[in-house]
Amino acid sequence: MYMVETRGLGKYYTFGSGNQVVALNDVNLAVASGEFVSIMGPSGSGKSTLLNIVGCLDKPSSGDVYIDDEKIDYGNAGSLVKLHRQTMGFVFQGFNLISTMNALENVWYPMYFNKIPKSERKERAEELLESVGLRDRALHLPSELSGGEQQRVSIARALANNPRLILADEPTGNIDSKTGGKIIDLMKKLNKEQGITFIVTTHDMVMANNADRVITITDGEIID
Amino acid sequence: MVKLLIEAFLLAMRQLRIKKVRTLLILLGISVGVAAVVGVTSLGEGIRVNAVEEIQKSHDLTLIEVSPGLSNGNIILITESKVRAVRESGSVVAPYVKDAYVTSNKTYFEVNGISAEYMDAKNLQLETGMWFKEGTYQIVLGSDVGEKFSKIEGAEIGNSIDATIRLYGEEGRAIDKDITFIIAGRLKPTGTDTDTDDQAFIDINVARELTGKDVYDGIMVKLDKSSQAPGARTAIEKLGLTCYSAQDEIDSVNKIMNGVTLVLAFFSGISLIVGGLMIINTMIVSVYERTHEIGITKAIGASEPDIIRMFLSECIIIGVLGGILGDLLGIIFSFLIDRVGRPMLIAQLGIGDFEHLTVINIQILVAGFLISLVISVIAGIYPAWRGAKLDPVKALRQL
Repeated sequence: MYMVETRGLGKYYTFGSGNQVVALNDVNLAVASGEFVSIMGPSGSGKSTLLNIVGCLDKPSSGDVYIDDEKIDYGNAGSLVKLHRQTMGFVFQGFNLISTMNALENVWYPMYFNKIPKSERKERAEELLESVGLRDRALHLPSELSGGEQQRVSIARALANNPRLILADEPTGNIDSKTGGKIIDLMKKLNKEQGITFIVTTHDMVMANNADRVITITDGEIID
Repeated sequence: MVKLLIEAFLLAMRQLRIKKVRTLLILLGISVGVAAVVGVTSLGEGIRVNAVEEIQKSHDLTLIEVSPGLSNGNIILITESKVRAVRESGSVVAPYVKDAYVTSNKTYFEVNGISAEYMDAKNLQLETGMWFKEGTYQIVLGSDVGEKFSKIEGAEIGNSIDATIRLYGEEGRAIDKDITFIIAGRLKPTGTDTDTDDQAFIDINVARELTGKDVYDGIMVKLDKSSQAPGARTAIEKLGLTCYSAQDEIDSVNKIMNGVTLVLAFFSGISLIVGGLMIINTMIVSVYERTHEIGITKAIGASEPDIIRMFLSECIIIGVLGGILGDLLGIIFSFLIDRVGRPMLIAQLGIGDFEHLTVINIQILVAGFLISLVISVIAGIYPAWRGAKLDPVKALRQL
């Protein structure tokens, strides 16, 4: 059983002048449940696009994506929201924390949309911050945290709704290599201990070396 | 569910606090509009209330005057059976007849044939003399008629007066009938009821005998409470008869003033459109500023309705606060109109028999509040929808 499978996935952009740009072309990818997959490739190779489509933030131009062997219906907004709420979590290169909310609030925010009562939400958010080693920074705003700390908060946020899949887009791209190492360790730990499937795009060789499998994308195509 | 709703408002509240100055300016914009509507409406309401009070002071609201009805071109006469039916509607029911007489000096006067119930219903009070004895040609004069007779005819109480009534025979031939009335008494001037002051009164049976009428010209219906009036009117009107009461005047004053107030409120409400546009503008800017945040919330599981709710919550708060603030400003505005406008009206027009020029009631305040709420929410729909429809990938890319 695959956690994620793509079949003949393509993404094309057509500009006003009639020029067509191919972002992804016939991508066939299968990620097993519990696998830690790293996607490498130069900038503009289409790896972020792939991640966005698998993460239901973007629609493919052709082909299908299966999650838990179930085909994603990109036209059904409700089913996409359900996947965001129950199945997957995101970690971004730029952390993407909400600047007006403190660390604790950022972590419980996904649970808020999942209609989980406030007390339960707060308790779980504290636990999650504890697990990423930021319990004492809970009431700090993102602007008062270092890059590494912010990324750990965003990992805690990604874990909020107990996802089985975490999609990380260059999670160590904006932080120094030492802190980046800690982030990689944390993700590996979650992968090993909780069996969460990770798909991580990266330029970081350390990240790649820690992955179960490395996939390389160039010009929108997977190179074996 | 309620807790989540409260939380949604608390989160919205926080957004508004972050943009303090902007929020304050929108609130001011919307509340000035509400205040203008509240102030103008309170002026209209004040004028209406004063006019109605004026009518109530000079009219008896428990009195209904019934006259023959008209249905498909046929006159519906007040027969004995109609009178019996009307008796069920009021506590005092007094049928009467009304005829015009002329004296030998060509002074016309109206004579009502009445019963004791009529005196009761209209609360007729003697100034001098006494009431007519039943079955006689004794007559009691209204104050104006009494004065006229005294001046023109030189007729005082105890004197007799020669009068003629013109009746019409079966072939339409005029028959003049001469009667000699004896003046028995004179009524107190009513001051407000000019009809009574201009009439003379005789025994109803004598009056009917003189004219040979077998129907009545009208019925006075007196009720215990004015609140019974609408029901009694409906019942009487069902019989095909026509009703008139002071309520008719009040109704027409209400109708006119409601129209005037509506037009005034509409023009003063134009400023509310400006307030609404301010909200639309501010919310669009807010959506634009928070594009990145909207992208994040979509990625972490917010649905389009969640985003719409997020922005509409802010608009609801603006609407509620704007409504409250607008009502407060409106009360002040109305107070100022009263303070400045009333002395001016008294000085310029010489009318001064009222306490307040403006009236604020709960309906006006509730209306002001609701206007603010509705405009804020309507103004928020488009920006909220735009926020909800943002492409998350583009939104996340924007910083």
